[in-house]
Amino acid sequence: MSAKRYGMSIDIDKCTGCGACMVACAVENNVPPAPEGANDRKGITWIRVFRIANGAGKTAFVPVLCQQCGANTPCVSVCPQQAVQVDPATGIVGQMPERCLGCRYCMAACPYHARYFNWWDPEWPAGMEKTLNPAVAPRMRGVVEKCNFCHGRWHAAKARAAAQGRRDIDPADYVPACVEACPTGAIQFCELSARPDGPGGFRLLEKLGTDPKIYYHSQRDWVREIAAAPGGKEKARG
Amino acid sequence: MKTTRRDLFKFAAGGAAGLLLTPAPWRLVTDTALWSENWPGIPRPVRGELRTRFTHCTLCPAGCPVKARCVGDQPIALAGLPGRPLCAFGLSGHQLPYHADRVTEGDIETVRTLVSKRAATESVAVLDLRPGRTASWTYRRAMAALPRGIYLAPQSAVPAVNLDAVKTILSLGVPVLDGWGTPAKVLAARPHFRLIQAEPMESHTAMLADEWLQLRPGSEQALAEALAGQGGGERTGLSAEQIGSVARQLAQGGALVLATQESPAVIELNHRVGAYGQTIVARREAAVPPSWRPAAPTTALDALPDRSIGVLLIDESAADVYLPWTALESKLAAHAFVVTFASSRAGYGRYARLTLPAPVFPESSDDCVPAVDSLAATFRLAVPLVTPPRGVASPTQFIAKLANLPASNALRERADAIHAVGRGTLQQYADSRVVSIKTIKRDEFWKGLNEGGSWTDDAGGKMPPLEPLPSAPAVVAMSREMRAARGPMPPLVSKLYRESNLRVRT
Amino acid sequence: MTHRGTLFFVLGALAALGAGWAGFPHVIYRSRPQPVEFSHKVHAEKAGMKCEDCHELRADGSFAGIPRLDKCAGCHAAAMGTTPAEKQFVDGYVTPQREMQWAVYARQPENVYFSHAPHVKLAHLECTACHGNQGQSDRLRPYQEDRVSGYSRDVWRGMKMNDCVACHRGHGIENSCLDCHK
Repeated sequence: MSAKRYGMSIDIDKCTGCGACMVACAVENNVPPAPEGANDRKGITWIRVFRIANGAGKTAFVPVLCQQCGANTPCVSVCPQQAVQVDPATGIVGQMPERCLGCRYCMAACPYHARYFNWWDPEWPAGMEKTLNPAVAPRMRGVVEKCNFCHGRWHAAKARAAAQGRRDIDPADYVPACVEACPTGAIQFCELSARPDGPGGFRLLEKLGTDPKIYYHSQRDWVREIAAAPGGKEKARG
Repeated sequence: MKTTRRDLFKFAAGGAAGLLLTPAPWRLVTDTALWSENWPGIPRPVRGELRTRFTHCTLCPAGCPVKARCVGDQPIALAGLPGRPLCAFGLSGHQLPYHADRVTEGDIETVRTLVSKRAATESVAVLDLRPGRTASWTYRRAMAALPRGIYLAPQSAVPAVNLDAVKTILSLGVPVLDGWGTPAKVLAARPHFRLIQAEPMESHTAMLADEWLQLRPGSEQALAEALAGQGGGERTGLSAEQIGSVARQLAQGGALVLATQESPAVIELNHRVGAYGQTIVARREAAVPPSWRPAAPTTALDALPDRSIGVLLIDESAADVYLPWTALESKLAAHAFVVTFASSRAGYGRYARLTLPAPVFPESSDDCVPAVDSLAATFRLAVPLVTPPRGVASPTQFIAKLANLPASNALRERADAIHAVGRGTLQQYADSRVVSIKTIKRDEFWKGLNEGGSWTDDAGGKMPPLEPLPSAPAVVAMSREMRAARGPMPPLVSKLYRESNLRVRT
Repeated sequence: MTHRGTLFFVLGALAALGAGWAGFPHVIYRSRPQPVEFSHKVHAEKAGMKCEDCHELRADGSFAGIPRLDKCAGCHAAAMGTTPAEKQFVDGYVTPQREMQWAVYARQPENVYFSHAPHVKLAHLECTACHGNQGQSDRLRPYQEDRVSGYSRDVWRGMKMNDCVACHRGHGIENSCLDCHK
């Protein structure tokens, strides 16, 4: 199987901030609903939509998820447990909660704040555990988790290909939950290696040199300014 | 040789040293770590063969088709069809039956006896919060069968909106871009219309609208009245120029005015801007069996004398637009008995004497009303994917039984009536096949509907006339937050409301 | 140090070594009987069945695992032979439509993702390579599980992560963590 580099192309102008991607991600990855003490700092939202405003009444929504950094991956370089690894075959930065010891060094290192800690054991109301997705293992408290580009779906696509005697997956079989759920098609999943001229657009905090694989697009200058500015986070609400 | 304590210590030390050279302590450490991976707090997902089943979502009147991935019969993930994705609520709707605040117990038999006794002498009213369903017909038939039955609904007729003809929308607090109509269709049509959102707070729709008019709270009707030429614009807090600009935009044709309450001012305004016949159009209703025709008509709440209702039964299991409790309360007799069928006590349960547990999506067996942006009649079933827990009562069956009306086969009878007329097409979701119902038998039609299929009427043909003023229908929709405040929200929607700042709950 | 002290020390060490190596395995494992005395040999020889007839790979790449009741009841709606084990199966499971709760020898932790499809269809591994001679056994071997962690003794013996990694490395197949974890 040839090596691939999976990435995303997100059109900020199409995002309506509906949040379907956030819920679809939680359903697919067995993220529990908010416990009693959860708030916007302690909740777990592998993909999170931020609202940015230009101060003159214009609004835009920016979905932020793990940027799957390709170079100098910050979380990989700081983890004392090697609980996160960049897969050379797909470019996906894979988080293994089963190895994690919960030091949260990676959360401090991640410039995109895309990593989330399980402050509590996951708790589903009685009966709701029947709705869990068997393709993804639930995590215990004390470990960090983040977006893995829906590895459960990646596994299913590979198993389907293998059952048909193929090593390469059918691209239509591997669609992350957020991409599937987006009503306007703002989030697109793509294989970057198949696009020699790149997907265009800009990336968040490009100056840091982490080589993220999520490319954002917008026709609006003020959106690009906020995304590029290091202080852009203050103008974001989410 | 007497063994001393020192010998014991030496023995123990030897034992400890020896133990370290055996697998025992190392294995126990590993085992403890392994045990902690599986300690009882963490549930294990159920494994099994994955199957796909189709149904329709009943959380809002759009009735979007749902592709459910199931392990055995239990849905574990919901998705829409290509080109028709589900919203954040629909995506996690399969978890609703297990919501912690769900009402699961209620003494149905006692209520039945009580209500039957009172129905003989007092007036019984059914409040149907999603009119237009087959269940609505059952209620109307049941009320016609009772000596003093009244059928109440927020609107007499649910009109259709022709999204293709819409060029300007003035929304008085309706979340046009956030849960109105069929969201996928609205977003697809977005580039072709101008949206003026008039509401006091900057809602999600206001953020995305072309123009946000920040009204004084409660002055939506005042704006409608001002635009309809009835004066009073200063109550809205808007300047005369702003109101004039809106009036000019609405006068350019293709206008539509949406509101959260049916009111004469909104109806008059829609009439003035020429919405009726252009953007608000009539829609043929799907056929019903002729035996259903003698059914009670919809009674307007205002037409009822005060203090006249003895028993009020509310079907909150499918609720879109809530009537204000104060309006209802004034029509209740002194010792009125109010029962609501709901899955949560947060709606009318706050005022009703009793809340009886009702099925929730995906347990409910119901049909979906045609979405407001659907120009043709549709008949789509919400096929139950899971069995409701014991003790849950279907409000339709309860009310039908009250009137001794055999209605357990109502959906089948309706499907047969539609098939008998012979118009329209059936689309099967599994393979996207579309067939004319003239080419399939009655049983095939019913089977196709139950496997997740949707019947759509043919376009064209004779349409019923739109009601003349003042009973013309208004297009009324509640804000999603207001609706959500009444019922249990799918738990994972906490991602939007609590675990991030994306939505501020109003 | 006196000889006496050393003697007790050595005695202690020997006792611990004995307990740890010989006694510990008896204590740490507990046995559970399988719900039905199933004979693979009878089904393979007399009924002429192959592994895939019951343990099939589905079209979507998932593995059926141990067959459920409807698979067995497909043939055993009534007793087909005369063994008491079959009679017990029909009376206890087929007639009351009760699912068998098999103890799975190869049950891996929840966070492990193992897919039969690439191993069977792409690597052409035989079932016996990992599962041993189950297919020819006349009786199911006793299921022993670790009292503390709950995993079966068979997993400890030959199906731990080291074993998978060793075989993969032997064939020159490098994998990333997420390939086998979920």
